[in-house]
Amino acid sequence: MNKFVFFGGKGGVGKTTSSAAYGYNCAKKGMKTLVVSTDPAHSLCDIFETTIGSEIKKLKENLYALEIDPEKESIKYINRIKTNMKKTVSPVIISEIEKQLDAASVSPGSEESAIFDKLVEIINEYGNEFDKVVFDTAPTGHTLRLLSLPELLGGWLDRLIEKRQKALKLLEMSNRKDKDEIMKDPVIEILSNRKKKLEKAREILIDRNMISFVFVLNAERLPIEETKKAVNVLEKYKIPVNDLVVNKILPDSISDDFWRARKELEDKYLQEILKTFKDKEIIKIPLLNSDVRANHIEVISQFF
Amino acid sequence: MNKENINKVKENIKLFLKAAFDIEDKSKVLIRKEAMDELDNFMLLCYGDLLGLPIPISYYTLEILPYIADDLEGWERRILNRKSVVNDRWGDFCC
Repeated sequence: MNKFVFFGGKGGVGKTTSSAAYGYNCAKKGMKTLVVSTDPAHSLCDIFETTIGSEIKKLKENLYALEIDPEKESIKYINRIKTNMKKTVSPVIISEIEKQLDAASVSPGSEESAIFDKLVEIINEYGNEFDKVVFDTAPTGHTLRLLSLPELLGGWLDRLIEKRQKALKLLEMSNRKDKDEIMKDPVIEILSNRKKKLEKAREILIDRNMISFVFVLNAERLPIEETKKAVNVLEKYKIPVNDLVVNKILPDSISDDFWRARKELEDKYLQEILKTFKDKEIIKIPLLNSDVRANHIEVISQFF
Repeated sequence: MNKENINKVKENIKLFLKAAFDIEDKSKVLIRKEAMDELDNFMLLCYGDLLGLPIPISYYTLEILPYIADDLEGWERRILNRKSVVNDRWGDFCC
């Protein structure tokens, strides 16, 4: 798999377990690995049975982990704006804007934008430092939106820049502003910079040589349906999906009637998975007889 | 007719012609109105969430807030004076 590996899938199928095990496996092979959780409800720390924060923490030889805290990230972002603005804005308005900034930092869209920004930062900054960066993402819908963000926001930014330029041009025609002032309008500059950053992120996200997207699912009906949809959407956004992890497969040695019936059902779904995703590599992980804890990661990591 | 009177008549004729035929000035006002409209719409696209319209990009438009802050209050007043955010425009209030 490539340098940046994203684990996605329906809720509860074992994304965190898979990403932790995969990261563990890479670390064991001697690759310097960073496991990043982008799910605001972190569970990476529970798997490794330790505390992981928004700073990179070393777990063992070659294995590092990080949990993105969207709230912290957006506060950092807002504070940066506040510092910048002290240079440009008169003190009278500052308190008014601060109120607005604080209100905006808790608005619904800002959390995922904050996660996305951090994600791009990690890819850009730690890409060289680590051999492998594994992302444990939130359940499907969230991830798909996260990855389609550059496309969505790019369009908005285009319109905004266009509108601003048109307005300034009209002002220039009515002699209200000089040409120089329009050429270096800070608003257009900021918007264009943001657009450049988004385009760079988008380039990485569709780069087949950099990104692998792994879907985790169980041999059950709903996860299969969801995976089908998600793979289609991702491919529409030109994000490649090459591997699937089928988690929690029942063992063959079952004697109980109830579990044998489940096993038959599971076999049926496994066949369906193999048929639907012929062109993808399928990794199978068996169901363990106990909860996943730190010492089980090594067992699961053998399957990657 | 003395010289003073002639000058006065000249001045009046000048003023009359300017008022009657000064197309340039008039078109400038029109262009300005259009520009203000565009700026208002730009603000609406940036900060519509302040009015309860969901704007997907609102997180990133916060960065330009310091540069637009001076216009923000006037914009909010104008937009709240409208019966809807899309009917009346800046030009209808300022000129």
